[in-house]
Formats: sequence, C-alpha cells, structure tokens
Amino acid sequence: MKGFVRNMKPLDVLTGEQIEQIHSATLHVLRKTGVRFDSKRALQLFEKNGCMVDHDTNRVRFPEGLVEECLRRAPSRFHVRARNPNNDMVWGGNTIYFQALSGTRTVDLDTWEPRTPTRKEYYDAVTVLDGLGHVAIVPWYTPWFGFKHIPPVMAMPEGLAARLRNTSKFTCAGYSMGCEVFNIQMAQAVGAELRTMMAASPPLTFYEETIDAAFRIVEAGFVLLPTSGCVYGGTAPATIAGSLVSGNAEIIAGLVFAQLVRPGTRVIAQDFSFPQNMRTGAPAFGSIEISLHQAAFNQIWHSYGIPTDGGVCYPNSKKIDYQAGYEKAIIAAIGALSGTNTLWIQGAMYGELAFHPVQAVIDDDIAGMLGRFLEGIHVNDETLAVKVIDEVGPIPGHYLNQPHTRKWWKQEQFIPSASDRLTHSEWLKQGKKDCIEIAKERCEAICNTHKVDPPLTESQEQDLERILKEAREHYRKKELLSAIEWEEYQKDLASPGYPYS
Amino acid sequence: MIKEEVMALRGFLRRFKPFELITEEQVEQIHEGTLDVLAESGVKIYNDEALKVFKKNGCTVDFDTKLVRFPPALVEECLRKCPSSFRVKARNPDHDLILGLDHVVFFNFPGRDIVDLKTWESRPPSRQEHIDLVTVLDALPTVHFINNYPYFGYRGIPENMKEMEGAAIRLAHSTKVTMEIANNDIDRFTFRMAKAISTELFANPNTSSPLTCYTDQTNACFLAAEYDLPSMIWDGATAGSTAPASIAGAVITSSAELIPYIVLLQLLKPGARVAVANLALPQNMKTGAPAFGDICVSLHLAAFNQVWRKYGIPTVASSSGVSNSKVIGFQLAYEKTIPSLIAAISGASAVQIHSSVYGEITSHPVQAILDDDIAAMIGRFVEGLEVSEDSLAVDLINKVGPIPGHFLGQAHTRRWWNREQYVTESADRLTYPEWKNAGKKNDIDYAKERMEQILSTHTVQPPLTQSEEEEIEKILHEAREYFRNEGFISSSEWQEYMKTLQEEGRAQE
Amino acid sequence: MTAEQKGIIDNLRKAIFEYNVDLAQESAKEAVEKGIDPIEALNAMTVAIKEIGDAFGKGELWLPDLVGASDAMQGATPVLEDEMKRRGVHRESLGVVVAGTVFGDIHSIGKTMVTTLLTAAGYRVEDLGVNVKAEVFIEAIKKHGADMLAMSALMTTTMTEQEKVIDALKKEGIRERVKVMIGGAAVTDEFAEEIGADGYDPTAPGAVELARKLLEKQ
Repeated sequence: MKGFVRNMKPLDVLTGEQIEQIHSATLHVLRKTGVRFDSKRALQLFEKNGCMVDHDTNRVRFPEGLVEECLRRAPSRFHVRARNPNNDMVWGGNTIYFQALSGTRTVDLDTWEPRTPTRKEYYDAVTVLDGLGHVAIVPWYTPWFGFKHIPPVMAMPEGLAARLRNTSKFTCAGYSMGCEVFNIQMAQAVGAELRTMMAASPPLTFYEETIDAAFRIVEAGFVLLPTSGCVYGGTAPATIAGSLVSGNAEIIAGLVFAQLVRPGTRVIAQDFSFPQNMRTGAPAFGSIEISLHQAAFNQIWHSYGIPTDGGVCYPNSKKIDYQAGYEKAIIAAIGALSGTNTLWIQGAMYGELAFHPVQAVIDDDIAGMLGRFLEGIHVNDETLAVKVIDEVGPIPGHYLNQPHTRKWWKQEQFIPSASDRLTHSEWLKQGKKDCIEIAKERCEAICNTHKVDPPLTESQEQDLERILKEAREHYRKKELLSAIEWEEYQKDLASPGYPYS
Repeated sequence: MIKEEVMALRGFLRRFKPFELITEEQVEQIHEGTLDVLAESGVKIYNDEALKVFKKNGCTVDFDTKLVRFPPALVEECLRKCPSSFRVKARNPDHDLILGLDHVVFFNFPGRDIVDLKTWESRPPSRQEHIDLVTVLDALPTVHFINNYPYFGYRGIPENMKEMEGAAIRLAHSTKVTMEIANNDIDRFTFRMAKAISTELFANPNTSSPLTCYTDQTNACFLAAEYDLPSMIWDGATAGSTAPASIAGAVITSSAELIPYIVLLQLLKPGARVAVANLALPQNMKTGAPAFGDICVSLHLAAFNQVWRKYGIPTVASSSGVSNSKVIGFQLAYEKTIPSLIAAISGASAVQIHSSVYGEITSHPVQAILDDDIAAMIGRFVEGLEVSEDSLAVDLINKVGPIPGHFLGQAHTRRWWNREQYVTESADRLTYPEWKNAGKKNDIDYAKERMEQILSTHTVQPPLTQSEEEEIEKILHEAREYFRNEGFISSSEWQEYMKTLQEEGRAQE
Repeated sequence: MTAEQKGIIDNLRKAIFEYNVDLAQESAKEAVEKGIDPIEALNAMTVAIKEIGDAFGKGELWLPDLVGASDAMQGATPVLEDEMKRRGVHRESLGVVVAGTVFGDIHSIGKTMVTTLLTAAGYRVEDLGVNVKAEVFIEAIKKHGADMLAMSALMTTTMTEQEKVIDALKKEGIRERVKVMIGGAAVTDEFAEEIGADGYDPTAPGAVELARKLLEKQ
C-alpha cells in the first residue's frame, strides 16, 4: 500500500519547552494521581514491574523511569500485514495512510435521515472502500456498527467477517462482550493482522473488559491502539493543554501495560478526543479545538518516537454540505500537516452516527489532495525553469506549448475524481451536477466492477463461517442473544446471496 | 499600548512558527532564480514615466521594446525598504487595519454576479443587493477589510462605471478599509473620493503574466505615491499557460512580476507601504480555464509565503478564495478551506475567503456569513494553545481523579472553556433529534437568519455626512462625463445609465 | 424572618449563582444554627437553580454553569436534609429517580450530567453507577419506591439491554409503577418507542424537562 511520504518538517504548534512542560505534567499525573485498572491480573503485572499499586482503589501509580523505558521499548516504525501483502504498510516516521471512518448507521441522501443498513449495503460499502485509491485501512465498525437482522452482540464479528471477505486491505476489530476471541481467530484464519484499541474510560480509568481484550490482542502479537476518548470540559480539563496531560496519561498507561505484557509490542497512540458542546453535552464534532489538540498530540508523541493515529474527521453537520466540507477539511489538513501517521476520513458523516459510501468517494479526493500536498515540491534547475522563463519572455509569450509544461503539469497537479471541474456553461449543459451526483455515479461504478484481490479461498471462507457459527452458539448459550433475535438472524443467514461477498 | 493601537483591527496573532514547505536553501534558490529573471530576462513595462524612473536608478531600459532589466542590488535594496508591518487608516479608527508580521487578517473574494440559492444560476445584482452585501461585510467580525467590487457593479450601469459606482457604495456603507482597481485609471477618481471622506485605501496595481506591466496598472504606483497610500500588488498567473507548470518556477515568475511595482513604489517614495497578493492558479488542462481549488494552489501559496516572509513583506493569499464548485456545498468548502488554512499557517498576512461561490463569477452574502465561521476557526487555530500551570491543571486532574470524577462542574472549566472553544455562529451544532425538531436546519438556513438579522439591525458607523455624500456624487458626475467624452460609454449605455440614476433619485443634470 | 436569617438565605442563593460549594455548605450550617426552616432554605436554592436553568434556556448560560450550580447545591443539601430528619419533617421531592448505565456499558459522563441536573431540580436520585444488571435496577426501584427509571447506554451493542430491563420490569409486575426514560448517543425516538420506554431526550437539560413532563402527569 503506497500511502504518502511527508517531505517536509511537520507543522509544530508547540515549542520544545512547551512539550517538556506537558510531558513533565503527564509524568507527574502518572506518578501522583495514577490510573485505575479494574483487573487483578493487570494490577499484579504492574506491581511486579515496580509500580505502586493500591489494591483497594485499583489505583496504579507509575514511576517515571518505567514510563520512559516503556516509551523507548515501543517501536517507532513498524510493519503491519494485510491480507494482501501489496496492502501492507509501515507506520511511523514521516509516512501517512488514510483510513475510512465509521458511523453507526447509513443515511438517506434525500431526507438525510439515518437508518440501519442491510447486509448487502454493508458488503457493498466494504467493496467501495476496497476500490478507493486512498483508503489504506478499513477499521473496526467500518462502514457501520452493524446491519439489519443481526443481534447487536454479533455486530462486531459479522462486521469483521464482511471486511475480511470484501477487502484485502488492513483491517481492525473492536471488542465487546469478549468477541475479540473470535476476531483474533478469524484474522489468523485468513493470514491477516489486526489492530485493536485499548480505550480508556476517562478520566484515568480502564475497565475489566477493556483490559481483558488488551491482554488477548497483545498476547496474539497484534497491534494495540491505546486511546483516550476524553471530552475536554467533561472527562478531561477544559483546556487543550490539560486534556493532553490527562489523555496522554491514559494512553501512556495503556502503552506501559502493552510493553509489560509483551516487550516490543507495536503500539500506535490515538487522539480521539473532542471538546464538549456546552449546550447539548454531546462532543462538539467538527470544532477547531480538535485540530489544535491533534497537532499538539502529534508533536508530543513524535517526540516520544511513537506513531500516531488521529485526525478524526467527524463533522457536526448531518448533511453532505458546506459545513461538513470545512469541518472535515480542517481536521484532515491539520492532522496531515502536523504529522499523523494514520488519518481517519473517508465516509464519516455526523458525529459517530452516520456513514455513507458516497461521502467516502468524495473524501477520497481530499485524502489524495493532502497526500499530494505532503509530497511537497521539487526545487531544482528544471523546476526553477529560469531558462524556460527567459525563452518564453513577457506577453505575448506563453507556456502551453512548452515540453516543460507537458512534463510538469501532470506531476504537480492532483486531479480529483469526484469533483465538478467544468466551466459554467458545460456545467449547465451537463445537468448542473455537484460533487454528490458525481460521487454517486462513481460509487455505483466501483460497486459494479471492483473485485477484491485476492478473494478468500474456499477453506478460508469455511473457517470464517465456522468461527462465526461458534460465536453465535457461544452468545446464544450465554443468553446474550434472545430467541426472537435468533429467529430473525437465522432468516437472514438463510437468505439467498448470503453472505454477499 | 495606546488606546488607538488597541482599537484597530489587528486580526488574529499567529503564535507559532509558520509552516515551512521547503528548506532555507530552496528559498535561496527561488530568490536567486527571481533575481536572475529580473536581471537577465527582464519585464516589459508599458509606461514611459516609469521607464524614466527605472533608467534613472540604474536599470537597463529599452524604450522601444519597453523591456526593463533590474540589477539585483537595486531589487534587494527596494525589498528591504518596505515596512514589514503597517497601519492603514479607516474612516472609523476602530476599523483601522494593521497588516504584517504575525497578524493574520481575512477579507472577501469578489464575484461578478449574485448567485440564486435555489437554481445556482447567476445574474447581475441590483443596487440594493450590492448594498446588502457590503452591509454584511461591514458587520462581519472576521472581514478585516473589503476587496474591490465585491460584485461587479450592478444592473443598469455601463461597464466602465461599474467599479466606480461600487466604490461609492463601499465608501458609504462600510467604514472598513477597501481597495481600488487601476483599470482605465479609474483610481484617479476613486482616490479622490476616499480623500474627500478622510479614509485611506489600497492602490491595486495588477501584473499581467508573463512578465508584463501595463500602463494604467503602473500609473497606480504614481498615484499611490502622490496620495501616500499603501499598495496591494496583485499577481494572477496560470501555471502551465502564463507561468511555468512547475510550482517552483511559477513562484519565481509571480515574484518577478510583483517586484517591478515594488521597486517603482520605493523609488517614488521610500518606505512606501506594500503588500503582495497571489492569485496564481494551475491551468485546468481539459477546459483551459483555471483549475480553481486544485491542491497546487496550496503548495504555491505555502512556498510563496515562505519566500516573501524572508523579504519581510506582508503577503496576501488570494487564490484561497476561489473554487470550481457552482453550488454552496461540500466541494466549495474543502476547495476554499484547505488553501485558506494553509496560507494562514504558512505565514500569509491576509487571507481572502468570504462570500465567493464559483470562481470569480458568483458571490452571496449568505456565503460571506458561512465563511465568517471558517475565518474565525482558522484565526482561533493560529492563536495556538496556552501551556501554563493553570492550563495544564495538574492539581485539578489529581483532585478529580478517575471515574466517577469529572470536570463539568469545576470552576476551571467555567473559566476556560469559552476561551479555548470557538462556537460557530452559522452551523448546525445540534444532535439528531434536536435537528429533526428544528426542521433539519443546516448551515445555509442559519446563515440566512443571520443575514436577515444583520440587514435589519446593522448600520454603518459613522454614516457619511451630507457634504461627504455630495462630494462623492460630484466626483462620480465628473467621472461619468469624462468616460463618456473619452468614448468608453456608448449613447445607449448612457441612456440606460441615466434612467437608472433617475430611478435611484440620483439623476445627473 | 429576621434580617440575619434573610442574609443567610441570600448567601445560599449567592452560593448557587457563584457556584460556591463551600459557601453553600457554610450557609447551610448557619441556617441550621439560626433556626431557619430547612425546607425553606432548600426551596430558596431550588428557585435559584431554576433561574439559572431559565438563563440556560435563553442561551445566556451553559452546561458548566448548570452543573456548577447543581454541585453548589449539593454542598448544602446533606446538611439541610439532616436537619429535616432531626425535626421529623419531610420535603416533598419532585420524585425519586433510579439511574444507571446498563449492563455491559461503562460510559458514565452522560448519566452523570443528567443525575446532577435532576438532583438540582429537586428529584431524589439513586445513582447505581455503570454496568448495572436488570435485577439490580429492579431491586433499587423497589427499595427506594422510585417514580422513574433513567437508563443510559452509549453503544449500539448495549442499547438493547434497555429493552431487557423494561421486559424484566413487566415480568416483575412493576412496569406501571415507574416512568422509564432512556438515553445515549445512539438512541433514537423510534428505538425508545419500539422498546416501550416512556421517553427519550438527547441532551442533559432536555432530560430534566422530560422528567418533569413525565412525572407531572402522575
């Protein structure tokens, strides 16, 4: 997977002294306040490695030396394996890859109202993401949290199966009700690696389910993504600097955990935090503070030598409109320029609640544009073109017929695939199509023509289905799957065209 | 700081080092290339007065071909003479403009016509619509000064008087600093209007690419010197047709085209206030039109800003304000926002963004209002984040502790959240159910409400006095007669014009 | 009321408007010492809370102000409630609410906002925390004589737990005894209707209004 290489120094919003101050404050919080880990096994692990553990309050306090040692242990660049080796990536340093960004439900593009997608829509959307040139990662919950007729407890495994079937790009899986057990098996069955998050519950808390899943993922040798989903003003201080301290303490705690379980674990640090909308109490998606936070986050974590995952481009707008455009573009541009190694953009609509493949097609252009920007410009005798300038001279001279132009315009420009590039009169004649209309056409074309490379082998498909069956039985036995849900599910499994891969 | 300083429109203060696209060495290479072009290839300047000034000061001048070659030492000296920051006086001192160094201001991008928000088709505006747009621009906090136009005149006005009538509207309905084009030397009249009402404005010499300066544009430099006005010099090359297709080469030609005006201005009046504006765009190699919104725009702006920051001269990002989208939608947003943001973080002093929809063809006050939020967001971003004991809040984090602790009720939160957050004015900030209950209002709906509110409550402060109004009308009268006599206005145009003026109650005797 | 007592009441109100927990607690203690009717003292603060709520509704104040005011009230409430117990008097609360985040879900900030605002508005809230099983909800409803059950679920995988709790209430024969209000980012009006909840609101202040509406009818 090509990704992009950033050929200039990243945007720095902090001075060296400010990074030191934030780092120092973070160490202080880890040392004095500590982090709560609701897991006996984790507490024992921390205590064994020199942390101060209070078993009554489950509070772990971290010595500075251990923290800095673990930051050093975590690799600063690492290889991740996709189902198709051509889609492998290297995370860290000055590379960037773009990834699709999920939403709970799909959206009707006329009424803009959300609804649960069907299984076919799910699989088709994965196909679109597999077909888009700048989607390098198809993460957890992508495209949607689940789809019709399946019980919520099976949403994660069914979603992962859909992704493993319809894309050979790198994918990820979340955890809930212990489903990571089945996720890991599915990934291993098709020779893919996974990235799974270890999400703190801010402030400064990790619950048992999270820790158990993290143990499993790290022991399986997969990539861990510790994250703080803090909301500044709610579950973190209202200041960007303070929320960085609190959030980073949570992420570092996760990173230390991973290094103690298995030294050298590949870790990528995620910034998934938002300011609080002080009117509604919801996160204020699309706000400018997200970008300030993100830029500072990237700078700090790169000073630690740890790859970063951020630039979570959720708009607050419910439509594919002007507001959504600027909200996503700002977060994406700042995330990219400040050096994030993976950036979430394609497909997301309002908050974490909506996704559409047509949106993904449009966003893929933004990804391509930013990737082009990060590649920078060549400055050499040929591009400085002083001789050509002299040759052309003033008006009536021009550059259109120059060999220099024929060579260089293609190298400099990025031509998007879903934007209106027509003149006014052409646009009127061709039906006044805007980017949404153009993207719809492109989306349909990808759906109709694109094939995953390689498709799963028959035995891989059998393995997936076997593991899914085990998961179904497992949840049924645990009564996490009701009789009514089971009946509906069975009907769906028996439908013609299942699974739609 | 004296009160006068505080009251001016300083814009936002960029609090971190500007983003650098290229290395110091590469900046040097571009600079050397620019000096080379000016010294060896030269620029054609169709203005004999200017040619004399250049000749007198050591340039090689060919009076037949109009080609001028500039010695590097003269170029560098004149660049050095330009102030790195300056004030422009407005009619209302609260609207004085401070440009340069770490100040980042925003302003509007013009569109010839008004766009219909349902059909997205365009038409010339009425006089009232022109006034309404200027009123909105006067009211918006992130419009720190107003470009010329912002529509191209209005219905019923002959071509040559469009901008002058527009200037009169701007001067009457806004006290923000504006600028005036030099086409057909109309600035001879508009500068007098500005003087009559005691406001400064920007002279606006434009380059012609490649490497050419025309008579009327060059005349603007003489006028600027005479009136002691600042100049905003505009370059608008198209990479691949009127500039090299390579971005590094296009930055050289942009710079080489802008510099002759700077040299002239400094020779006429050392220390003259100068800013340079960049409207360079790549060429759309399918249609032949400019490729508005292409990512090359951002690359060019970033490199250009870096080079000119070295010269210590304020730069203006203009190509940030144009998009290829005909509708107010997602594409328009990312095509305008990305270059505006990149310009601001890479060192631009002014960023052009408000009110433009498609290219330079359409504009709308609702769009200006939407862009007010983007400008404020970008402004908030460049102001950075505070890192201090108070903002790091370590003691508070310790006091709150893990769950069930939270920060919502803390005094620290109340004190800080509004300082950290910019709350958008014309955006949908609701949850799904609230949004449905509110009738699925989107950004355009909110912007329309804000527009209604501005138009019904905002008044220009202070309004022109009656004698000032009369003075402007007098100058317009002179201009009309002059252009009529020079043959710029046909009889049929004149008739229509007189009818229009009569309907407006401004009949010319 | 003496001038001194009036001064103390003023301080209680001041504590609310200045979000001052310490002042609220001190003034509550003083109120008890100076023989002020604890119910009157509580009512004075409730009025102040309502004024802040009105200012929020007008767009003049924000969530941190609401929560700050509620927290300040919590500085005074335990002192005044103790005094009420001592005097053997009973203040009519607007209702008893049992609240919690459902089983399998550990998100709490939304629930915390709602319970804080409900308390300030005059409801007695029993907050059961997170990851709460259906039987625990039922036990608490019975024990505290609850008028309302407020459930929070952030994730789609745990949303359906809310339906399970409602079914459990029916099985237990106590569904009619409580109004059920649900919340969480992924929850919708349709879902609330589908599972038989009495109401849903996406915002914390809205939840208080909803509680008022639902419980007024009783």
